[in-house]
Amino acid sequence: MAAFQLLVNGVALGAAYALVALGFVLVLNATSAVNFAQGDLVMAGGLLAVALAPLIPLPGIVLLPVVLVLMAALGLLLALAAYLPLRRRPPVSVFISTIAVGIILQNGAAILFGPEPRAAPPLFGDETLHIAGLAVPEQSLAIVAVAALLIGAQQWIFARTQLGRRLRATAQDPEMARACGVPVTAMILVTFAIGAACAGAAGLLLANRYFVTPTSGGDLILKAYIAVTVGGWGSVPGAVVGALLIALFEVGVSSVLSYPVALGALYLTLLAILVLRPQGLFGEAVRRRG
Amino acid sequence: MRRALPLLIGLLAAMSCLSPAARADDTLSFPVLVPLTGFLSLEGTSQRNGAVLALKQTPAGVAIASEVVDTGTSPEAAVTALERAAGSGTVGAVAASMLGTQMLAMLPLAQELKLPLVTVSGTASITEQGNPWVFRFFPGDAVTKSAHARYVVEELGKRQPAIIYQTTAYGQSGKTHLDAAFKALGVTPVFEEGVDPAAKDLLPVLTKALAAKPDVLVLHLHSGPTALLLRQAASSGVTLPIVAGSAMHQPSTAALLEPAELKGVCAETAASPISGDTPEVKAFTDAYRTAFGKDPDAFALGQYDGMTMVLEAVKAGARTPDAIRKALSAETFKGLAMTYRSDGKGNMAHSAVIVCYDGTSRVPKLVKRYDDPTLAAK
Repeated sequence: MAAFQLLVNGVALGAAYALVALGFVLVLNATSAVNFAQGDLVMAGGLLAVALAPLIPLPGIVLLPVVLVLMAALGLLLALAAYLPLRRRPPVSVFISTIAVGIILQNGAAILFGPEPRAAPPLFGDETLHIAGLAVPEQSLAIVAVAALLIGAQQWIFARTQLGRRLRATAQDPEMARACGVPVTAMILVTFAIGAACAGAAGLLLANRYFVTPTSGGDLILKAYIAVTVGGWGSVPGAVVGALLIALFEVGVSSVLSYPVALGALYLTLLAILVLRPQGLFGEAVRRRG
Repeated sequence: MRRALPLLIGLLAAMSCLSPAARADDTLSFPVLVPLTGFLSLEGTSQRNGAVLALKQTPAGVAIASEVVDTGTSPEAAVTALERAAGSGTVGAVAASMLGTQMLAMLPLAQELKLPLVTVSGTASITEQGNPWVFRFFPGDAVTKSAHARYVVEELGKRQPAIIYQTTAYGQSGKTHLDAAFKALGVTPVFEEGVDPAAKDLLPVLTKALAAKPDVLVLHLHSGPTALLLRQAASSGVTLPIVAGSAMHQPSTAALLEPAELKGVCAETAASPISGDTPEVKAFTDAYRTAFGKDPDAFALGQYDGMTMVLEAVKAGARTPDAIRKALSAETFKGLAMTYRSDGKGNMAHSAVIVCYDGTSRVPKLVKRYDDPTLAAK
């Protein structure tokens, strides 16, 4: 029974991590640039939800669209300030600029909100459901449902719409896409917006159960990086599977061994994948392009 | 001309005594060098606020200057801040970072510059360096963890504790002292496990702890993880008593939880200003709320008491860093949280309290005070 309860918690955590990794991998695919500010965007999304909660005293599900829109706008700003001016420079320039944006977000959040941990409102309710001896928080179920919905919607946009086709063309070969009349710069801006919106959704989902502080993004970018490396550099399904794997170690393995041992086992697994299957579980989408 | 020259020099000397620069030389500076960004920003902000509030009480006839510098979390930044502060006028004493690694880096420089460092750092080793310039106004783990263990064993009558601690230096130190305190009381924990502060879900460790059949949960976690574990314990229907570490007493920790989730939870701490057990503490809490728009915690009160003792020394005539050091070393000071006196190593605080929540409010009640609990535990 305890194992089933841990499974529910692990899937909920993995679903939220998947949104973090998804935003990271979308930008990676569109620009070949590693957005080191992704973790801090998650933090910004969480604190945005905290700030909006008193203004819109309704459940988190009503806040979610507002957070998505505002975070998409922040993503556009990030692209305009930290990516587009440096797109012709060596990749390390974008690494540094996104790290700088992350630090600015952290310090800005510390000034605006203070250092205290804060909790965002729950998506629907804060109750715990007792089902067949299991204590399942409503928020855990809501996280899984909302993350699945957002990931599904994103897959649908990418697979079935003209915008999605243009985004994919930009991600696969920006020069060829430009030659075919695709507005590549606009597509890159849209990708940054979607990536930041994903981060915002993850921030709202995580900040209720696990709280948010101005420094909580640093840990999340590391997890996104591991998820993408495990799944395959640039692979969207790989990022989701990688995120679920991290949650499996954090919740599942740590329940049998201990948290430090589970963390060690996760890094050993990462090392083994890098040695035995360096392209990741789902292959490297980004390298294939080159 | 020969007679006029000494007169001119004398006149210039007299004028220089009256100049603003000379008046500035009479001003005693009390820099506040604390971590306002990074992982210790919550506690560092409390420390800053406590120091700033104390420094508003300027003793009559003494001009005081103060500058707040964010030391972040790197030892280098703290050392640079101390060097810079020392070069900007006559420093009386420094409100110095509560981060142990920063204090250890600053100590040799403070000894070289002959500047008293007044801190609320809990790191035991800072007062074990043989450095006479450090003064700690917060009980170390030896004191607080003895009180923690004694409350569990002597007041609650529990003898099968499960200890969940943080894997950080803070957590390891607390766990070591808890082990020693329980051993002194003849109790062996049935479960002990460290948790990384980045762990999002604490249900795995809680499940394992409960499987060991404890009669009490003893926590030594940072603020966020403490709230997370208490929330998961409440939603899992855990009815065991929980005695948490000092992070629980911080108002920002309690703010993350519903009062019902706090029912029966206790915590050790140096003080709980919001509990307002005396009119003086209540007045401090009100002044703090007015100044900073938030509730104070024990770190704020400890640093406030420390800087107030420094200012008392100045009021009594200490005008140099060495005179202030001597006063801090020799005097006894009745602060708001407790009575402070140096043990010869710069440890000024020797009391701890236990506070408990009744499930109806986020303000805990003081249930037990331990003055020098290490002596009794031995």
